[in-house]
Amino acid sequence: METKLSRRRRWARGASALVVATAAAGCVGAIGGDSPGGNVLTEPPKPKAAFEPEPATIHRLTSVQVQNTWRALFGEKLTVPQASELPSDDQAYGFRSIAAAMKTISPLEVEEYEHATYAVLDQVWKEDAWRDSIVGCSPETSEDPCVRAYFERFGRLAWRRRLDTEEVDGLVAVTKEVGAYTNTTAEALKFGTAALLQSPHFLFRIEVGEPVGAEDLEHQGLLRLTGTELASRVSYLLLDAPPNTDLLDAAESGLLDDPSLVAAGVEYLLASPEARPPLVRFFRDFMNIARLDQLDKNAEMFPSFSQTLGVSMRTEMEKLFEATVFDEGGDFRSLFTTRSTYVNGELAAIYGIDGVTGPEFVSVTLPDDGRRAGLLTSPGFLALNAHKTATSPTHRGRFVRISLLCQDVPPPPMGVSTELPPSDPNQPKTLRERLEEHRLNDECKSCHQLMDPIGFGFEHFDAIGAWRELDNGLPIDVTSELDGKPFAGATELAGLIAELPEVGACITRRFYQHAVARLDRKGDGRAVNSLIESFVSTDYDFKKLVTSMVLNEGFRYVGQPKETP
Amino acid sequence: MSRSSLPRRAIDRRAMLKGLLGGTLVGVGLPMLEAMLDSNGTAFADGDALPTRFGLWFFGNGVRLDSWTPTSTGANWQPPADGALTALVPHKEYVSVVSGLSVKTPRHPHHSGISAVCSGGPHLKVDNVRDTIVSTFKYKSVDQFAADHFQATNASPYRSLEVAVTRFRGTDEGTSFQYLSHNGSVGGETNVNPSEESPQAFYNRLFGMGTVAPLVLKARASVLDAVAGQIESLEKRLGNRDKQRLDQHFTSVRELEKRLSAPVAECTKPVAPGNFPDLGGNEQMVEKNKVMSDLMALALACRLTQSFSIMFSTCGSGVIMWPAGSKDGQHYMNHTEPAPWTKQHESVKFTMSQLAYFLERLKNTPDGAGNLLDQSSILVVTEHAEGWTHSQDDMPMLICGKGGGRLKGNVHFRGTGGNTSRALLTALRGAGLPIAQYGYEAGLATAPIGELENA
Repeated sequence: METKLSRRRRWARGASALVVATAAAGCVGAIGGDSPGGNVLTEPPKPKAAFEPEPATIHRLTSVQVQNTWRALFGEKLTVPQASELPSDDQAYGFRSIAAAMKTISPLEVEEYEHATYAVLDQVWKEDAWRDSIVGCSPETSEDPCVRAYFERFGRLAWRRRLDTEEVDGLVAVTKEVGAYTNTTAEALKFGTAALLQSPHFLFRIEVGEPVGAEDLEHQGLLRLTGTELASRVSYLLLDAPPNTDLLDAAESGLLDDPSLVAAGVEYLLASPEARPPLVRFFRDFMNIARLDQLDKNAEMFPSFSQTLGVSMRTEMEKLFEATVFDEGGDFRSLFTTRSTYVNGELAAIYGIDGVTGPEFVSVTLPDDGRRAGLLTSPGFLALNAHKTATSPTHRGRFVRISLLCQDVPPPPMGVSTELPPSDPNQPKTLRERLEEHRLNDECKSCHQLMDPIGFGFEHFDAIGAWRELDNGLPIDVTSELDGKPFAGATELAGLIAELPEVGACITRRFYQHAVARLDRKGDGRAVNSLIESFVSTDYDFKKLVTSMVLNEGFRYVGQPKETP
Repeated sequence: MSRSSLPRRAIDRRAMLKGLLGGTLVGVGLPMLEAMLDSNGTAFADGDALPTRFGLWFFGNGVRLDSWTPTSTGANWQPPADGALTALVPHKEYVSVVSGLSVKTPRHPHHSGISAVCSGGPHLKVDNVRDTIVSTFKYKSVDQFAADHFQATNASPYRSLEVAVTRFRGTDEGTSFQYLSHNGSVGGETNVNPSEESPQAFYNRLFGMGTVAPLVLKARASVLDAVAGQIESLEKRLGNRDKQRLDQHFTSVRELEKRLSAPVAECTKPVAPGNFPDLGGNEQMVEKNKVMSDLMALALACRLTQSFSIMFSTCGSGVIMWPAGSKDGQHYMNHTEPAPWTKQHESVKFTMSQLAYFLERLKNTPDGAGNLLDQSSILVVTEHAEGWTHSQDDMPMLICGKGGGRLKGNVHFRGTGGNTSRALLTALRGAGLPIAQYGYEAGLATAPIGELENA
């Protein structure tokens, strides 16, 4: 378990890395100019498309962000309220981050936040020494200047910016009001602190922006995020945690305006273990695999199904992503082609790998038999995009089309029966043969031809992701085509997908959407294009994409508010 | 209630606390005592009418109309043989069936259906970027419309209460697919009242907090007052969409602040229900329905709220109706099960047996001279007529309860393609809302279903 101290130390080192980079900034620019592919981040984006970003918005903290923020404020010994006791995180367009930018706080959720806030504060206030270490003094009355000093200092951490005089006045006032009838000033301070922690400034990440300077010719008419708004944006994106004092200091002194400095800081942070879970959470939303935790398969048809299997499947996919990005050089494309993966006992049984038992994961290399490679042949992908009893070429193809190629597939039209004709027991057919109905029927064809042909490539994998030779007793045909490119089976298809420029562009867009917490629009074209270019030029190194994102204009600028609803 | 109509200090906390500390517990939150009623038991001794509750009970994915629709129209409806409504027959004095009405707002699979039958208005498509849309309700759902009325006339401790029975297993298509109770949306912001899914959490919220020292309640209310002030000054700096979001936050904070300062309810504390984890991969939906129904009935009897919603399953739900013999998620099953669609029929029949439990529970709970079902108007709806075609004509709808004598019960009204909002209007009027029209845009209805109402 990482201690608060070591986390702070790391941040401090991060800050000193920033300072070192400041001194060297001029050199970085010069060297960068000659270094192939290394200078994209510092080059101005090419003005191909317009940059007209959406207005700023406020972002409700996700449950893990609220938990991490409490932990950052009160230390690792805090027993943090469980996510199940907090307002739930929904997904919009797949991402919790986007849903959080749409949400308000309902009456029930106010109750939940209130309850959790006191669960946190009661722990701290029960121990005098702990409380004093937070407050920084033991005031006799609420008039003691140290009360004010406390709200200024601690409030800055809780709200991730400096409080103005009126805001501090308000917190002192509620402390005084309560202090008039509580036994001790310390007790009153608990309630003053509760006003800090139930505040919209705590529960939301507030972004308003400020006018751009006259020298910023490229962004006239837009707003840019303030230093501390940007510090929070970076910190919650990379760590799902608030900026610490060092980062706030750096932000206030304008250091986040310096691209090379920021790049160095981001790279430093990405090397820390805390940077892994937030990016894995991005991947979880991107692949929509949180749903695997509720995986449900027919136990009679699939005796290897268990209540823990879905979680194991998700864990495998996330480990694969984490290893690819952080440990294996970061080329995102290898996610689709690698034969290295991680299995525990129950996954090994599905893969048909002998000798692995129990819940612990071990690293394995899959046999070079042409059957499996990478994410798209992982049991998790195959099982999630299938039904409880049957495979679904439509769902598997739909995922590839929508989530990997960022293309659109309309839902079935109104008033059309989506039932497949019943199978005749005297004339057994494969699922692929039954799905031919989709291709014969004009109404179905236009959309299903976008999905089914891709999905046919996966038909050797049953609804739980295990290899099968036959479907309904008949041989399986896995030859098909993806937009005119023929392939035979899942590994060939995965190889095709890995090389498609659309896939790299799509993951870039999806990461952009996650980072700015909304869908990209036409006005984001220039920003997104420049990100895609840098992703390509860094050989699809995902960590470098993160750095580019933080430096990208789309991450730093917002449009003027639109007053019409 | 719009934020602007709430004064900065909406309530006199000190006066409330005085009541609390002095031990004089007034009507709010108390189970009604005979002494409080007039000699007929039909009104309060001071002449005020007994409260009527409004409920919204929703299930997903539609029905099979051939086994749903009663065989005759008018009074004393009968289900077809082995029909979906069979379980409701013992309660049919309290149940009217509405058929033959249509969704009039612009159609989209699922989205327009739930929005029309739960709010009377169109769904609001959020962004305009992909074919599988994300939507929320443009207008508040009926339970919140009713809550506005109740809170303005005779406020309850909880503006409304929301529970869900089965789990959300839907897709990422916005709040329309995940939530029932909505507060409306101006600019695509999502503003919902989430349904409590855990019986234990619902119990804790209503009955499990124990006694809190009055001064602590006072301090907590002061904190919320300060937070409300922070929200107000922050709003000034934000754009319109964010203002809407903070308006709701403000209202939510005020709700809790008000309740902390209100007299506590003296309900008979029920036994803690615990939670109901899946058994062998199956949701314990019968058990969960039972305990959620029991807790809601108690909350209504104690007058903790006058408006509630129960989401048996979500819009487009993927719930596996295993008690009805189903092995696949309902949405998928609806789209793929071949004739004679036995599992779809059995699923709806099962769902209605769960509704029957709730109605029976209300019927067995005394309220005034009668029972809770006498004093309720409950709208039962689903987002499609039949899920397999996404049809939104001839929508299956029920109005349950006698609405304090306003509703006849045991009538089958069959329309000829009129607006589904007529049923919403009728149910709201059944709960005592003095309205002559209801609905929004193309969903506006100007005539209630007179056949269901007592003159």
